[in-house]
Amino acid sequence: MSDDSTTPWAVRVHDLTYHYPDGRAALRGVDLNVAEGECVALVGPNGAGKSTFLLHLNGILPERGRSVTDHHHGIDFGHKTKLHAAIWINGIEVSPANAREVRRRVGLLFQDPDDQLFAATVLEDVAFGPLNLGFSKIDAKRIALESLARVELGDAADRMPHHLSFGERKRACLAGILACSPSILALDEPTANLDPRGRRGFITLMRDLPGTKLIATHDLEMVLELCERTIVLDRGRAVAQGDSRTILGDSALMDQYGLEVPLSLTMRTKIS
Amino acid sequence: MRSDRSIASGPLAGVDVRIKLLVSFGYVLTVVATPLGWWWFFAAETSLLLLVFVLARVSFRELVGRWLGFLSLVALMALAVAVSHPLRPEIGLASIWGTILLKNSLAFGALFTLSQITQHHILLHGLGRLGLPKPLVATLQFMYRSVFILRDEFDRMAKARRSRSFGKKSWGDWSSLAGLLGRLFLRSYERSERVHAAMLARGWDGTVRTLDGADSR
Repeated sequence: MSDDSTTPWAVRVHDLTYHYPDGRAALRGVDLNVAEGECVALVGPNGAGKSTFLLHLNGILPERGRSVTDHHHGIDFGHKTKLHAAIWINGIEVSPANAREVRRRVGLLFQDPDDQLFAATVLEDVAFGPLNLGFSKIDAKRIALESLARVELGDAADRMPHHLSFGERKRACLAGILACSPSILALDEPTANLDPRGRRGFITLMRDLPGTKLIATHDLEMVLELCERTIVLDRGRAVAQGDSRTILGDSALMDQYGLEVPLSLTMRTKIS
Repeated sequence: MRSDRSIASGPLAGVDVRIKLLVSFGYVLTVVATPLGWWWFFAAETSLLLLVFVLARVSFRELVGRWLGFLSLVALMALAVAVSHPLRPEIGLASIWGTILLKNSLAFGALFTLSQITQHHILLHGLGRLGLPKPLVATLQFMYRSVFILRDEFDRMAKARRSRSFGKKSWGDWSSLAGLLGRLFLRSYERSERVHAAMLARGWDGTVRTLDGADSR
């Protein structure tokens, strides 16, 4: 890996450290790179820092207006140290000054669709991103309708979010971020709480989406299907990374970090 | 407040929302301003409302159910007002009480019909077009969406509480209900932070932009 921040990595993270407001360390010196077009899984036990990490990718964290020494990007030198850029998206440093451009490039799907769907109708919600990006109302509506059609919710445009099923709400959220045409998708537990058919549909959708994907998940079977590379996060540290089959097939590693070798890999090993 | 699945399908449903709003509020103001004892005028107002009920094809069962619930709240307050009313010696307690109930019922009927024939977001859109401040309209939209999320959250917590109370009913229920409401408040606060984060993630900069209205900060 090159240390040059201008190399064409889609995501480049260097020594990312973050503390929660109560002082607990959430991320401790995370280093990772994701190449353009790559699909990477972020796995680890609950509380490992996966969601917190994703929130850093488009600058939602660290919170603005709070002490930079309490929650900061960069090398943890202790106190009152100068901030070091820790994340670059397509070579652009994630910072308040670049927030608009970074958020256009990174589409963040939240775990709970009710956190993301806030507008009165599905169409209004999906058009929210394009309107914020400066599209006219006519173009925003057209983009929103196209995005809904991509996730097979074209007939739900005028419905209210609370009348959608959980799977439909999840797809509406995905339409909301696709409408912003991001080059990088950061997906937080995309298949959590979905029934088997909904899960399968969502996996198919994700597979067909172009661009770079970073997926935080406990669904290790899905990781085997979609992701070439897997990064294991534990207590805020990236403790292992490599080819998904190698990482997920390492039973000692999986046990050590509270994970489990996917059944499909176990069965294959037994058969062979 | 009705949902988009159950809007009445009568001929009034397609009328411009601004006309519906103005007529409804005009009717309510007229009812409120009608003096005591103008029974012929009250009869005309009631007849007009009944005609609107028919035209709007409202569900009478739902109307009566909600009206009775409304009356149970208003009746006692109306009695308190009637007892201390300055015209009580001339008109009589029953007439004053009945008039207040009638006025409230007619106003309730008009607004109930409005909610029956108009989707909520269109209603808010109409209020915005009639000059209601945009931030207020946006806040009402957020509230409407949040009400359903909070209701679902409350239902889940209440079910979990019931599943551990083993059918026992005591004053302790009230204290656990208070605890439940407190937890709901905290959860709502946490959710509001996540919703805010999700809005920021899609480029929100403090200006509320909608497809069918002017931008507002």
